[in-house]
Amino acid sequence: MGDLVLPENGTADRVHHPLEKMRRFPLTEPVDAVVIGTGAGGAPLLARLAAAGLKTVALEAGPYWNPPRDFATDEKAQEFLFWNDERLSAGANPLSFGKNNSGTGVGGSTLHYTAYTPRAQPDDLRLRTEFGVGADWPLTYRDLEPYYDELERFLGISGPATYPWGPPRRAAYPLAPLPLNGAAQLMQRGCAALGIRTSPAANAALSAAYYQEGVGWRAACTNRGFCQAGCSTGAKASMDVTFIPLALRRGAELRPDSFVTRLETDPSGRITGVVYQRDGRVERQSCRYAFLCAGAIETPRLLLLNGLANASGQVGRNFMAHTGLQIWGEFEETVRPYKGIPGALISEDPHRPANADFAGGYLLQSIGVMPVTYATQAARAGRWGEELKRAMRAYNHVAGINILGECLPYEHNYLELSDELDPRGLPKPRVHFSNGENEQRLTNHAERLMREIWESAGARNPWAFPRNAHLIGTCRMGSRSEKAVVDAEGRSFEVPNLYVCDNSVFPSALSVNPALTIMALSLRTADHFLKKLNRLDP
Amino acid sequence: MHADSYPDGTVRALLSSDAVTPVTRRVLLERLAAQPLSPQFFDAETFGLLKAICARLVPQVGNGPVDLAGGIDQRLAGGRTDGWRYNAMPPDGEAYRMGLRGIEESAKAQFNLSFQQATDAEKDSILQRVQAGSAPGDTWKLLPSDRFFEEMLAEAAELYCSHPLVQEEMGYVGMADAPGWSRIGLNEREEREPLEKNEQKDG
Repeated sequence: MGDLVLPENGTADRVHHPLEKMRRFPLTEPVDAVVIGTGAGGAPLLARLAAAGLKTVALEAGPYWNPPRDFATDEKAQEFLFWNDERLSAGANPLSFGKNNSGTGVGGSTLHYTAYTPRAQPDDLRLRTEFGVGADWPLTYRDLEPYYDELERFLGISGPATYPWGPPRRAAYPLAPLPLNGAAQLMQRGCAALGIRTSPAANAALSAAYYQEGVGWRAACTNRGFCQAGCSTGAKASMDVTFIPLALRRGAELRPDSFVTRLETDPSGRITGVVYQRDGRVERQSCRYAFLCAGAIETPRLLLLNGLANASGQVGRNFMAHTGLQIWGEFEETVRPYKGIPGALISEDPHRPANADFAGGYLLQSIGVMPVTYATQAARAGRWGEELKRAMRAYNHVAGINILGECLPYEHNYLELSDELDPRGLPKPRVHFSNGENEQRLTNHAERLMREIWESAGARNPWAFPRNAHLIGTCRMGSRSEKAVVDAEGRSFEVPNLYVCDNSVFPSALSVNPALTIMALSLRTADHFLKKLNRLDP
Repeated sequence: MHADSYPDGTVRALLSSDAVTPVTRRVLLERLAAQPLSPQFFDAETFGLLKAICARLVPQVGNGPVDLAGGIDQRLAGGRTDGWRYNAMPPDGEAYRMGLRGIEESAKAQFNLSFQQATDAEKDSILQRVQAGSAPGDTWKLLPSDRFFEEMLAEAAELYCSHPLVQEEMGYVGMADAPGWSRIGLNEREEREPLEKNEQKDG
């Protein structure tokens, strides 16, 4: 992979690491680390641990796809990309899972994330201090900053030369921003009329070919607009084309199609092995440390199934999902909203709105949309018959704008195991979610603002689609063992050789998309672990 | 933005061109060639009722081009789910059986007819009350009619919009992305993207 030749066909076939060349470890000899899950939480630390010379094995529930060969530009055909094991959605605002929230396969949810990668702002981590609600993080922006720097450089994040919000950056984004599509131009126009600042957004998709350490050349984005149903060109920085091939080249072993069911412990409470189902067999990998990175549903589910790490009673609690209201409109101009990076434009002006009657804030994002997603949302918003068909015929004139806003933790929002069993014989998770007063107020504020922006931009027939997105906070990180599941380094307070690293450890939701921060925590957890390991186990 | 806004044949022509990747071509040609299925999950009577409901949810000329009821039946027969369900609802198959029974009960209660015998206006009136959560009938005491309606409608809309002929009608050619897109701004069009009948060529 050392050669610097750009693939002529513009695809990224070469970053798909052939597993035949992979290092393999025996099941019965303890490896240093088993990493469960290969999304934004698992993949970066997997690469870090492997690079440090540790024997590492990653277990991934789903397959290892070859995107140029396997990914169709068709939403229905791409349904395999999502976590389709049934979850039960309870509460006043039951969440949709599957394609809204969870991926399966090597790369996890990064297979279908939009690649929108703003950094958290320093005050995002101090919600309790600033507003007296929610929780502070047990770390600061300065702790994350070097990892944000590193990730943006490694992944080749495309972004503006100067970013208008947050602390001054130490380095520019490595690539120029991706081009603005119709939705972005409309949001720019609407915001300009109202004096709201906008900027091309930071996106983890390449605006030019990029050479990535340990991986090789990745080709530039072709503006397919299909990020949420799988990138077939490798331009989007999903984990399967970035940290995973890097980890494999550094000597990690990857076992796809491996669904973990048990974490075995010895009498002292240390994890000794991880049991999983693979191709109809049950296998057990011995290990010295386990890193649980299965996302904010499967991570607490696995801990609850195993009765582990829950002396605090906090596993599954503090469940949060960003407020994500969308406003759609039809425009005189032709938009053809299937083209271009979906979230090309951002405004963080409402990060902490003046005179707000709620805690926290939100960002604004322009959104392109794939046709089936648009049609099903219009249906869920209540349209049917000729009205639905009319809305669909207007598709080429449609553009959207949405928010990504704070969500507070509440007693009433949590995950539990239900009595209903899945086809593996394991209890299905039940997730209770209801927006609280703060989310209602924030959403009302945002709806007024977005309707104004869309009216200024010339929208006709505007309509709102209320939703919550991103699954956060079921194994909270904190400084006290009675209030949290893991410490500031991601280590379980109770099980000394168990780390958790994914969106479940977030103490607060942040008013930005979570992926970049999950990756930053992942690298940070790995570094702290390696430092501790050198001291404790010379 | 009218029913006949876009010319016929656009997607079909692109499917035989280099603008579509092999895997995309394969899945879309399969869908295009699919024949209406006889039911595997529902009995014939219930399946007839589902077809009549789908014809109101997404009206089509005759029975085509999209076999909505067949698509739903096929998914349920295969036991596939989309990753979640409302906690207030039973598993999908049972929810459909109950919900369809509920709609039949509502038709009896409102018009003393079976749903399929009702006029289009009567059918819509029945479905509006199911959607609003205020439909009459004992089944709805066990199954929230508004949630059932939303789930069924979303599935019908998804099946409908996934069909290449419907995508032609919408002027959608996003599947023809193998060369990439460079003209992505407002009113920017590439040669292979269809013009609306009233749209200027230089747009």
